[in-house]
Amino acid sequence: MKSNIIFKNIVFALLIFTASCDNELQPYDSKSNEVALATPADIQIATYGNYAMLVTEDYTRNYLTLNEWPGDNVVQSGADGDQASLGASYLHIPAMYPTTNFWAESYKLIYSTNLIINKIADGESDALDQLKGENLYLRAMAHFNLVRLFGRPYPQNKGENPGVPVVLGIEDDLYPARNTVKEVYTAVIADLLKAGTLMKELKNADFASKEVVDALLSRIYLYMEDNENAILYANKVIDSKRYQLATTEMYKESPKLVPESNPETIFNFRHTLADNKDKNAVGSLYYNDPETLSTGWGEYYTSQALWNLLNENPQDARLNFITPHYIDGKLQYRGTSPQYFINKFNWQEGTANLASPVYLRLAEMYLNRAEAYTKTGKNQLAIDDVNLIRTRAGLSGSALYTVGALNGRGSVLNVVLEERRLELAYEGHRPGDLYRNNLPLVRAYPGMHGTDNFNFRVEPDAPRVVYYIPEREVNINHNLVQNP
Amino acid sequence: MKTSAIPIKPVLQVKNELRIAGKVSDEKGEALPGVNIVIKGTSQGSNTGVDGSYEIVVPDAQSVLMFSFVGYQSHEVAVGNSTVINVSLVADTKALNEVVVVGYSSKQLSQLSSSVSVVTGKQLNDVTSNNPINLLQGKAPGVIVSNSSGDPNSTPSIVVRGSSSITAGSAPLMVVDGIIGGNANPNDIESVTILKDAAATGLYGSRAANGVIIITTKSGKSGKTRIDFNASAGFNNATTGNFQVMNSQQLYDYEKSFYPADRFNNEIPASVVAQNTNWQDLAFRTGSTQNYVLSLSGGSENTKFYISGNYYNEQGTLHYNDAKRYNVRANITHKINDKLKLNVKINARLSKQESDRAGLDGALYGAYNNMPWDNPYNSDGSVNKGTDGGWYGREQENFLHGWQYNLNQANASGLDGDLNLDYTILKNLTFSSYNRVSTSTSKSELYYDIRAKAGKGLGRLTNGFVNNLSMITSNRLHYDRNFGKHELSALAVLEGEKNKIDADGVTGEGFAPGLHVMNTASRILSATGSINENSFIKGLVQLDYSYVNRYFVVGSYINESSSRFGANNRSGNFYTLGASWVLSNESFMKNFAAFDLLKLRASYGVTGNAEIGNYQSFGLYSFASQYAGNSAAFPYQMDNKDLTWEKAKTLNFGLDISLYKRLMLNIDAYNKTTDGLLLNVEMPFTSGFGSVIRNVGAIRNRGLELNLNSVNLEGKFLWVTNFNIAFNRSKVLTLDQGKDIRTGNILISEGQQLYTWNMRKWMGVDPATGDPLWEQVSKGANGEEVRTTTNSYASATQQNVGTASPNLTGGMSNTWSYKGFTLSAFFNYVSGNKVYHNSRALFDSDGAYYTYNSMVLADGWSRWEKPGDIATHPKPVFGGNKNSNQASSRYLEDGSYIRLRNINFSYQLPDHLARKIRSENVKLFVSADNLVTFTKFSGMDPEVVLGPSGGTSSIKYPISKKVLFGINIGF
Repeated sequence: MKSNIIFKNIVFALLIFTASCDNELQPYDSKSNEVALATPADIQIATYGNYAMLVTEDYTRNYLTLNEWPGDNVVQSGADGDQASLGASYLHIPAMYPTTNFWAESYKLIYSTNLIINKIADGESDALDQLKGENLYLRAMAHFNLVRLFGRPYPQNKGENPGVPVVLGIEDDLYPARNTVKEVYTAVIADLLKAGTLMKELKNADFASKEVVDALLSRIYLYMEDNENAILYANKVIDSKRYQLATTEMYKESPKLVPESNPETIFNFRHTLADNKDKNAVGSLYYNDPETLSTGWGEYYTSQALWNLLNENPQDARLNFITPHYIDGKLQYRGTSPQYFINKFNWQEGTANLASPVYLRLAEMYLNRAEAYTKTGKNQLAIDDVNLIRTRAGLSGSALYTVGALNGRGSVLNVVLEERRLELAYEGHRPGDLYRNNLPLVRAYPGMHGTDNFNFRVEPDAPRVVYYIPEREVNINHNLVQNP
Repeated sequence: MKTSAIPIKPVLQVKNELRIAGKVSDEKGEALPGVNIVIKGTSQGSNTGVDGSYEIVVPDAQSVLMFSFVGYQSHEVAVGNSTVINVSLVADTKALNEVVVVGYSSKQLSQLSSSVSVVTGKQLNDVTSNNPINLLQGKAPGVIVSNSSGDPNSTPSIVVRGSSSITAGSAPLMVVDGIIGGNANPNDIESVTILKDAAATGLYGSRAANGVIIITTKSGKSGKTRIDFNASAGFNNATTGNFQVMNSQQLYDYEKSFYPADRFNNEIPASVVAQNTNWQDLAFRTGSTQNYVLSLSGGSENTKFYISGNYYNEQGTLHYNDAKRYNVRANITHKINDKLKLNVKINARLSKQESDRAGLDGALYGAYNNMPWDNPYNSDGSVNKGTDGGWYGREQENFLHGWQYNLNQANASGLDGDLNLDYTILKNLTFSSYNRVSTSTSKSELYYDIRAKAGKGLGRLTNGFVNNLSMITSNRLHYDRNFGKHELSALAVLEGEKNKIDADGVTGEGFAPGLHVMNTASRILSATGSINENSFIKGLVQLDYSYVNRYFVVGSYINESSSRFGANNRSGNFYTLGASWVLSNESFMKNFAAFDLLKLRASYGVTGNAEIGNYQSFGLYSFASQYAGNSAAFPYQMDNKDLTWEKAKTLNFGLDISLYKRLMLNIDAYNKTTDGLLLNVEMPFTSGFGSVIRNVGAIRNRGLELNLNSVNLEGKFLWVTNFNIAFNRSKVLTLDQGKDIRTGNILISEGQQLYTWNMRKWMGVDPATGDPLWEQVSKGANGEEVRTTTNSYASATQQNVGTASPNLTGGMSNTWSYKGFTLSAFFNYVSGNKVYHNSRALFDSDGAYYTYNSMVLADGWSRWEKPGDIATHPKPVFGGNKNSNQASSRYLEDGSYIRLRNINFSYQLPDHLARKIRSENVKLFVSADNLVTFTKFSGMDPEVVLGPSGGTSSIKYPISKKVLFGINIGF
């Protein structure tokens, strides 16, 4: 009988143990969204989380490839598994994963900024106003970068072409339709103007601040052909004196710098060593360390056209962003393309494929202003700004322009656009700059594009100047109308 | 009866009529009710009563009585002078009486009301593998096992009766020795039981929507200690199927046909054909397999043991791919006293694995895609790195180079300890406590040496550490009682389970050549760490009832709660009901002596599925993020407090027939409807999320299964056949608001088969231009559907073009024995599925990937060359022909195959010879796996993962052909 008593105790103990198992288990690396935005400190962490979305591969890499590869600064040298190459060759398909992923990451960012923006009432505190402003900036930038890829250039049809859905988190519609390009621009400008009034802190170029907002407004107004405002906002940034052009020597080494130490950067997608995407980084697509030939894919090179243009002035500092690949003194080719590796996205803090791609910098403000000046008939002012940029690039004397001596460029606008091409190369500007100015893309250099490399031409009204809306989204959201 | 005999036949002269009485019992002396007693050569007979007693009148002393009962050997007795004949029936050792472990209890196969399949340890271990699931392929109807890789470290996927879920797991629940979870080495397995319908899964019902696989390990028998030693060793080679890439000359001629003429001679000099590297020969090898098992078993009345050790070593057919396994098991039972029994099981295992160490794209990729023009070796005999210039292949990689320096290996160890107590409280009442603790740890090491291309000039090391801990306790009260002709048993169970996984990883950079320990890193690049937990609590009751071994009813009710579900709906209720009728035990069946068994079964029940990730019901911000060195968080998941169990309702009808003790046929038909699916509902990204998990949608699986065991020839020459076949259709009934779900090229949509390929439909080649053509479906003027062809990929229409699920699967084995010789052959087959041959996008790309090797056109394929050609392949164009290699039904191929999975020839030494070496049993054998495969598939191997996210054949590691020689000795 004694064993019976022991036994009953065992049974009892087991039942207690079983019943006491706690079936509510909380995750270790997450918090419930009911508490995640509870305090200003929590909102700060969530705001950092929003910036963090910019440094994902889905955002940074695709932003740079989808915006740059359709241009004439870089060349696809051979067969390529990255479907952004379909942008380079203008053979888009609706289900390209780079466009899908960029779209997805953009709207995730928009969603999470909405949670914060709609939670904070204006004027609660300076700190909260600042954070709200930063989120408004991020939301505006996300919408703007989307409409550049999926909506036709603003000047076409006065912005009445379909753009992308504007999502502000106050509408109930789970399946939004596309707003017009103009409506997207209007929403973006509204966010930026509001953000500008809320932000007081002079945060470094890793974060948004008033001048970051003004710099983006300058670009946006330029794209809208609102030249007065483009000049106004470029001036606001320049006159703020928060930024200086880097010296020529510093400029040459700028990819290697600790990003915050570059006085020219207005806003960058700050990558730390923890964000190193290594072979998946955009730097790996452009560059393969000639010493080891093992750091990257190195399959997109500076085009022969851009190389020739820069070599008109061999002292041009911007040649430093190119590393021609020689073996035993012999220039290497892939297919027919000379291997002019691009190093603008390499060697930050000594790491091969680490870079913090610059989104806005002071040089662009001068060039925005120059373009707006010439479009409003102020050619001398335009040439002055261009020469400022060229001087910084180490050029002087006859390499500089005067209104009367345009070096065969034909017009001041051509001079400005060419300078934008040289200065902002690889940063995602070139194809957009052509098409919004109603200019065709002309490629006449060796590479993978088309059947006749030397006669490849895309007109600004061609359907493929914009990408297809990601097929997945069209399949799920029937309110989205596909681009032709 | 005494009174009736005389008045009924008054005119008959009662001569030698005898009245016989007696009792029928089983071997243990327990009374057997319902036993049939027939006078041989007549239809007269009787039955035993509840107490096993009977009475019968026989014509004369020469009469012979036949006693028969399901599950027992028939017994004949000549009456002679006896008036009392007591008979003890011996349990039939044949299949009918097999005791089947059905989870919390064991039953005779003949008494089951449900659909189960049993695979014995012997049937299981024909093919040589270290994975029990792998060994189940083709062995039981409706159990679909598929391997995605020939890597001996890979794990196969298994689905029972079709996928009944979309987002949640569709693998069956694994149970080892009566407790959920656990591990077993194939050599230690006594039997595997697959529970398929609701009634069978009853006690595991809450987790059994995908079926249950119950593994029972061996145990000792009292008596002489038995020693068994099994050894086998042999060779493995990769199956190459119909697949062939070009040699140097073929590739040269092909590329010349589309390369820009002005560039070709410049970029591809004619001298390239002097080099003809066969990269597949370099990547693959003849591997070896060795398997040694030593086991001891035996014991006394009170203590029994089974102890075994196993060493398994399989080299993959790809270089530097190995699996080494060590396993020790000890199963010990001890009777402490008449009431208390202790059962301890320990299973310890250690594994070392090595995987392709080439780095970057890897050897498998290189084997397919590298160019034959590239020489893997430099002129001085050293290995070419691929990056030193003059290399034609796109990736500039030579896997032979990385092999020299890198490492890719993992070690794992695991320990399962079971402690079970059985206590007999009262005569009919038993309490059992089953408890298990399982732990496992693993460390992986991926090292890229500074000298290798993957080392990126610095050297890089990634270490991964995983710790698993599972604890489960299951406490059961069992009550058994006979009330006259009624037999009743009841079971109540309370069970709790907790699982935890810790995973950590660290990556460092900057290593001196050959040093691969984190201490020597010059800097740490990244570190990761995660912890994951889940828990389950379950209570259940089950009642079993039977009436004179003719009618059986079983019912159960379960309530289980899991941490995985939302606060509002954490627990779910499940029930099952089953009934069977053994017609062959009815007296009206006495004339049909041919039937050893004729049984009808029916069952219905609701079973559950909880196989989703942890924490999915919470709305969460994830903190696995940072920006510019600051802690960061982002919205990670939408909340769903209502999230709950996925439930499957299964109706099953079955028929079991055994004829002449030679033929056993089981037929099952089922209809399984899963609703409230745990479904990742796709959201438009504009919502901020890609998907959210909800309980919506329904799937129906309907099928028919047939299993046939036949002794075709008996006697000196024995021929036994087992044949099984299963047909299953998975249909999507409803989805969230009727919205389709797309995963890659597979579309799940209402009214369609579950895994339906949906892509642009390939319409062949335009004979005039050699352009690729796809089908475009548009609306005509009157809204009618208009189908045209287009050479624009973007304007072609995505549509359904076939299914990824097979419509039938199965296997057949034949065994022939004569004297000591036995030959057996086992085939498995899959039919009706389409496989997407994804890697053709690279090496059958019409010029898009001219820096890869290309595939030799398969039989029946042709390439367009000039206007008017009717061809299967478009004109090759440098850089690709109008996206012809993008996803379309062009690369969708028939995935049907029949494979000779195993053929085995053995010789058992005659006893007198065996005794000379003091052994009881000596068997020599030669065994071959996967020798022949019949298929139309153009790749190396048609076998793909069947089921969710399956159906695609990418750069494939084909399964191995193995030839093994072995010996089994028992002492």
